Amino acid sequence: MNAPLTPPRRWDTQSQNRAARLGRAAAFARGRHVAAADARALLEAVLEPGDRVCLEGNNQKQADFLAKTLVSVDPARVHDLHMVQSVLALPEHIDVFERGIATKLDFSFSGPQGARLAKLVSAGRIDIGAIHTYLELFGRYFTDLTPRVSLIAAQAADAAGNLYTGPNTEDTPVIVEATAFKRGIVIAQVNEVVDTLPRIDIPADWVDFVIPAPTPAYVEPLFTRDPAQISEVQVLMAMMAIQGIYAEYGVQRLNHGIGFDTAAIELLLPTYGESLGLKGKICRHWALNPHPALIPAIEAGWVESVHSFGGELGMEAYTAARPDVFFTGPDGSMRSNRALCQAAGHYACDLFIGSTLQIDLAGNSSTATLGRIAGFGGAPNMGADARGRRHASPAWLKAGEQARAGSSRMPRGQKLVVQMVETFREHMAPAFVEQLDAWELAEQAGMPLPPVMIYGEDVTHILTEEGIANLLLCRTAGEREQAIRGVAGYTAVGLGRDRRAVENLRDRGVIRRPEDLGIDKRLASRDLLAAKSMKDLVRASGGLYDPPKRFRNW
Amino acid sequence: MNAHRHSYYEAGARERLHGLLDAGSFRELLGPAERMTSPHLPPLDAPVAFDDGVVVGRGRLAGRSVLAGAQEGGFNGGAVGEVHGAKLTGLLERALDERPAAVLLLVESGGVRLHEANAGLIAVSEVMRAVLAVRSAGIPVLVLDGGQFGCFGGMGIVARCCDAIVISEEGRLGLSGPEVIETTCGVEEFDSRDRALVWRTVGGKHRYLLGEADVLVADDIGAFREAAIRLLDTVPDLSLDALDAEHGRLAARLERFGTCRDALDIWSALGIGQPARLPLLDTDEFLTATADRRA
Repeated sequence: MNAPLTPPRRWDTQSQNRAARLGRAAAFARGRHVAAADARALLEAVLEPGDRVCLEGNNQKQADFLAKTLVSVDPARVHDLHMVQSVLALPEHIDVFERGIATKLDFSFSGPQGARLAKLVSAGRIDIGAIHTYLELFGRYFTDLTPRVSLIAAQAADAAGNLYTGPNTEDTPVIVEATAFKRGIVIAQVNEVVDTLPRIDIPADWVDFVIPAPTPAYVEPLFTRDPAQISEVQVLMAMMAIQGIYAEYGVQRLNHGIGFDTAAIELLLPTYGESLGLKGKICRHWALNPHPALIPAIEAGWVESVHSFGGELGMEAYTAARPDVFFTGPDGSMRSNRALCQAAGHYACDLFIGSTLQIDLAGNSSTATLGRIAGFGGAPNMGADARGRRHASPAWLKAGEQARAGSSRMPRGQKLVVQMVETFREHMAPAFVEQLDAWELAEQAGMPLPPVMIYGEDVTHILTEEGIANLLLCRTAGEREQAIRGVAGYTAVGLGRDRRAVENLRDRGVIRRPEDLGIDKRLASRDLLAAKSMKDLVRASGGLYDPPKRFRNW
Repeated sequence: MNAHRHSYYEAGARERLHGLLDAGSFRELLGPAERMTSPHLPPLDAPVAFDDGVVVGRGRLAGRSVLAGAQEGGFNGGAVGEVHGAKLTGLLERALDERPAAVLLLVESGGVRLHEANAGLIAVSEVMRAVLAVRSAGIPVLVLDGGQFGCFGGMGIVARCCDAIVISEEGRLGLSGPEVIETTCGVEEFDSRDRALVWRTVGGKHRYLLGEADVLVADDIGAFREAAIRLLDTVPDLSLDALDAEHGRLAARLERFGTCRDALDIWSALGIGQPARLPLLDTDEFLTATADRRA
């Protein structure tokens, strides 16, 4: 046998490549530390054309210095990067494509940059792989989208290169885990280098380079809502949510989306909820960022635990002072973790409630608007029935029973997924439509599917100022459509209702008006809010909450 | 945090009057049914209000007869037009005939309604003249200031022509509003978007410390009512001695604080410890912390 002589296959090419990169970078580093002035040279030394790069862009915390640095590299040396990051928040996140440094993108949310992203996609400058939910994208970090180089942000580093990420840990652990354990390179910008870290969130041997940034990493106070801007319609809707859904199902574990609607619910718990005798019976465990609006409920003893996706500016001292409620480290400061909180929200919560922009006649809801590619973030993970869930709870069982009553389907529970919208949004745009804008957007941007935030089959309740439509009780697509029309008020969709069918649904309790719930609309006043201003929130926190300047009038 | 509190700041003009006066005692004069609207707005294609943004009438306060007017910030920020001003002037002149225990002005106004130009300016000056006529007849005119739009421009002058001002922390009082100052004098002089600066300059706490407002109350209609009741026996003093004393007080104030750049400097100069914490204190704590320290 004269077999051709082939060299034995090498199994450590990634390690070799990593060593070559570290070798090229060595000139700029002292140990793991690199000066800010050498950051660009470091990136040019480490990055190779075609690399998959994660530039830490979170919902809140941004590796903004590294983003600026990446935009400044020479496109002749660094090009065709494939960006894999959860959020496109900063202009630099798009600039890297405009400058020809990157060409391909996999992401999950692009809220603030959605319009520019759409333009570059239609100009053929960005090739979008896919738009994900957070958990999906994190899942792909560990399968086919593992970053070769990750550029992350931490609060502080020590001399050895250990990192403290603190309250705004967010995506950092999942990014570093995927990169460091597949022989990739991890570069961290830090606000400061200290002798002793409060605690170690990321060990030094998972980190290759640490750069003290000239200015602290930008953090967006995304979850702060000024109670002064909550309207009486929102108070009414919050009363309906508490009485018609939370109390009705005995919801103990839940997640709230961002917005004034849900802030109103949080602020009504210690007043209206208390008056209904619901304390201890609902809303005990939360997958939620440290919302300032939750302070009065926490102080009134409603809340047993809160695990958070990220931190919230100004809530640091408050969360540290309430370790029985929040997840905090041995040093006392909070730790967040987006991946784990998303998992908690998906599998361990009985209810998700959030706002949306458009709902169609099947209950599909979308925040997509024409000319913007906004992506999904985490709402689809929160706002989807967890088909893999097996543990029971009264709320989950009741929802499942309602959906299966009268049929012989295998019994199981169901997550409560509530869409809370006023029938008209700002500028009198109707929240209910015959067809979602998502269809047209999908065509414009060449997407394989319309970008639906929450599928109708997962939505269990639609709550408007007109009432609650319980879609679990609908047995046909026609009933479902009339239930939705029945709470769509004076929108064209609402006016198109079949009056008899809607009255029939109301008799069956599928549609419930405020008066059907025993709610006197005239009592829906802002006086029910446990805090009516930012200052009230500070007072409720005993002075521990320190709101960002733009929310203060003092 | 008291759920039984009824916010004065967030209430409308009629809600304030009903909560302020003895229950069920308020009778509106020239109510919306009379359709007394501005003649100046329709030519500008601007909407009118059937009460022209002010509610006037009579009622009882702690059993005593009073006349009261309340401006509605929800209509053009309470701005004074011809009809609006005439209703206030008429209310004040009625006091000369009816001789109530007091006239209450629940002010909330950005000043003259610019759409009405000279007619609005004249209306405000007529209100001022009427205020002084009522006071010289020995009837106190009391101002309550705690609405969302504050009290500025011509109504700021009217307020300071009265016998006493009850203000809440949320109430604001001044001549030119923050945006006007910034527009005319530049952002270096006054940054109207610095909300903290705006509130500590024109807000109720500072106006109380400066002595321009007489009573500081919490944002609660009940608290305004209690304060108004306590002021019912105010005796107007328009004597030359009183005017001289006021002028002397203002001159001394300018002397003492004229070089201060910020309300915080004034609070320090007043000998108030940790002035930066004042904005955060609730009304009772604030009154304790500043007792005997007013200018």
